[in-house]
Amino acid sequence: MTAVAAPARTDATPAPASAAPLALPSGVKPTPALVLPDRTRALGAYLFMVADAMVLATIVAAYFAIKDGSSAWPPTGVGVGTYIPFIVTITLTMAACSAQWAVRAVRDNDQRNVAIALVFTIFLAVAAANAEWAAFAKAGFGVGDHAYGTFYYVLLGYHVAHLLVAVVLLALLAGRSLLGHFSADHHDPLRSGVLYFQYTNAVWYAVATALFVLSRVNG
Amino acid sequence: MTITDASPEADAPALPPAPLPVVQGSTAGTDHKVIGTLFVAAALVFLVVGGVLAVIMRSQTAAPDLHAVGANTYRQLFTMHGVVMVFLFLLPLWLGLVTALVPLQIGATRMAFPRVHALSLWLFVGGAGMVAAAPLASDVLGGWTLSTPLPEGAAFKGDGVDLLVLGLIVVAVAAITVAINVLATVLQLRAPGLTMARIPLFSWSATVSAAVMLLALPVLVGALLLLFVDRHYGGHVFNGFTGSRGGNPLLWPRLFWFGAYPLLWALLLPALGAVSDIVPVFARRRLFSHQRAVAAIAAVGVLSFAGWGSEVANLRRARPLFALGVLLVLVPVASLILNWVATAATAARQDKTLKERFRSVPMLHARGALGLLLLGLGGELVAALDAGGQSHRNYWGVATQHSLFFGAALVGAVAAIYYWAPKLWGRHLSEKLGRVQFLALVGGLFLTVLPMFVLGIQDMGAHTSSYVADGDLGPANLIASIGGAIVVLGVLLLVLNLLVSVVAHRGVAAGSDPWGGHTLEWTTTSPPPAANFAVLPEVRSETPLLDLAQSETQP
Repeated sequence: MTAVAAPARTDATPAPASAAPLALPSGVKPTPALVLPDRTRALGAYLFMVADAMVLATIVAAYFAIKDGSSAWPPTGVGVGTYIPFIVTITLTMAACSAQWAVRAVRDNDQRNVAIALVFTIFLAVAAANAEWAAFAKAGFGVGDHAYGTFYYVLLGYHVAHLLVAVVLLALLAGRSLLGHFSADHHDPLRSGVLYFQYTNAVWYAVATALFVLSRVNG
Repeated sequence: MTITDASPEADAPALPPAPLPVVQGSTAGTDHKVIGTLFVAAALVFLVVGGVLAVIMRSQTAAPDLHAVGANTYRQLFTMHGVVMVFLFLLPLWLGLVTALVPLQIGATRMAFPRVHALSLWLFVGGAGMVAAAPLASDVLGGWTLSTPLPEGAAFKGDGVDLLVLGLIVVAVAAITVAINVLATVLQLRAPGLTMARIPLFSWSATVSAAVMLLALPVLVGALLLLFVDRHYGGHVFNGFTGSRGGNPLLWPRLFWFGAYPLLWALLLPALGAVSDIVPVFARRRLFSHQRAVAAIAAVGVLSFAGWGSEVANLRRARPLFALGVLLVLVPVASLILNWVATAATAARQDKTLKERFRSVPMLHARGALGLLLLGLGGELVAALDAGGQSHRNYWGVATQHSLFFGAALVGAVAAIYYWAPKLWGRHLSEKLGRVQFLALVGGLFLTVLPMFVLGIQDMGAHTSSYVADGDLGPANLIASIGGAIVVLGVLLLVLNLLVSVVAHRGVAAGSDPWGGHTLEWTTTSPPPAANFAVLPEVRSETPLLDLAQSETQP
């Protein structure tokens, strides 16, 4: 990386074409919107989360519709543990804090703490994903055994998939922070990435509430 | 694009064909005009496919006791025709026109996320390929709602449906990413002075449509995901009534229509916006009330979520509520129509060119869309009063959907294509061919839809593939079949016009503002350069170009 980047930086006479990002006739000022305004990426991330939350809301709505139409929920003889969901909740809550630590550190221009916080967050997220994997392995029922089983695998799977995407994003952000891409003034990607990670935590709370807490409440 | 002193424009004999707006170099793959054009091209291919499927279906039902295709094939045609027309034609058509035009209309140089835009296109192509391949894998018999028979039915099995479900998920995700892109572009990249209340009505309708899609399409994605888990992994969500295992097949139509009903309105909205932009330009005045049009379009978007239950049977107690929901959404549409009529009626009568302008091809199509809209609103009004009832399962529903959500949306889109083709592609479409095509398309649509309403009154089932000669269903069916064939002829003429005028460069080269437009896209060259605008005029109202013209005439 650095070997390629270094000569470009020291090049005293850069090609004139590289100055203009898009071809405009010479002498004409670019219109203001040529540069992406601040927070546009964050807006895109928010809109994505709205759409994603609607997918989750649909699945959760279907869950409650089926639950309300069932005589016993979860079906008689199906034991739902509290140990693993409890561990996952604690782990992800810690990860939520460490992710915010990264955002605070970048605001103070503290690159070292950004990297430490992100690596710590990744570690916790992977641990949570591992615990959820154990929840699959130790469930004692399959996706096709009953409706609760179907939703158990779909909802937990939905969260694990999101969590793994978040881990990849956080790893990319950690790499970029080590390369010095972020500063106190410019860290939009970091904010958006952490925002997405916090969203996956919200997904966990929704999923866990439906599967492990409200499943015990019979209306 | 560059005119040098050596070759003055006046002496030049015939201009060489202007290149399509394909940008050279690294931006070529992310230019919103190119991606939008590709979306439109894909949509038109699927329009022809869906139209041919319809003609085969209508040839089976043209007369009693025909055996052109078997009942099983008919159900497959029925399914694919619906799926192709909604998800592979109307959806990408608007994704294309909207993303090609909105940045130009709001004075932006690009989409907010150009690379995501390119991703959307290729996601759509992949998903559409999966959907199109589905009937090759196994029979697909569910109808476009994937619900007749209910998802657990034996006839619903097979890999083809799995492929269809996955393909629809991919197509929906592509559309969601476009919706995000459109919303971010409109919210963040507007020209200075162009407030949200001032953006052109096509862009506003596109924004509202994108917001509706952002909320409605994920519901379809969630429902389709559950359906896929049911079918592929033996889940028990819709696989129903198996004792303590749970599952409820009646849940499927509710989830499906919760997403699909607003989607249908979202696919009609840009047509309403396009007509709202076209009418004032050809009437040579401002729209009667821009504010009321903005409010009406927003209201259609919000209220589109209220009526989904009218399409679902067995919602006994909620029926009046959903009937009210559909009635409510019709009110802003009616208000918008009054706005257009008031604009046209108060146009300057002394203007001698007015009659001619009202007979130009874009305006003809706008008027055709208005006619189909009125017909569809009438059908939907009756259907609303019969929420969840028989008129949603017989030809009344077919007629309503084909006049409102297909006819008005299609003809509105064709109006938009004739109106904006000179801007996007630098060439006018042929006017002569356009008039013939208008007669075929709109005439054919009325000829198809009106007898379908009659068949609805006669209570012919929407899925009926064959009927006996005893009844009196024959004449109306025959007329509808002839009409359907004429519609397909109209579609082919449209494609021919685009091929001849734009692709083969035979159309008249367009100036930057051929219609006397009111909005920002007409300030730049036709076709626009890669970055759309060199300079932008000051925006002080919703019609910046009218302001500019007035300030020039009154120094």
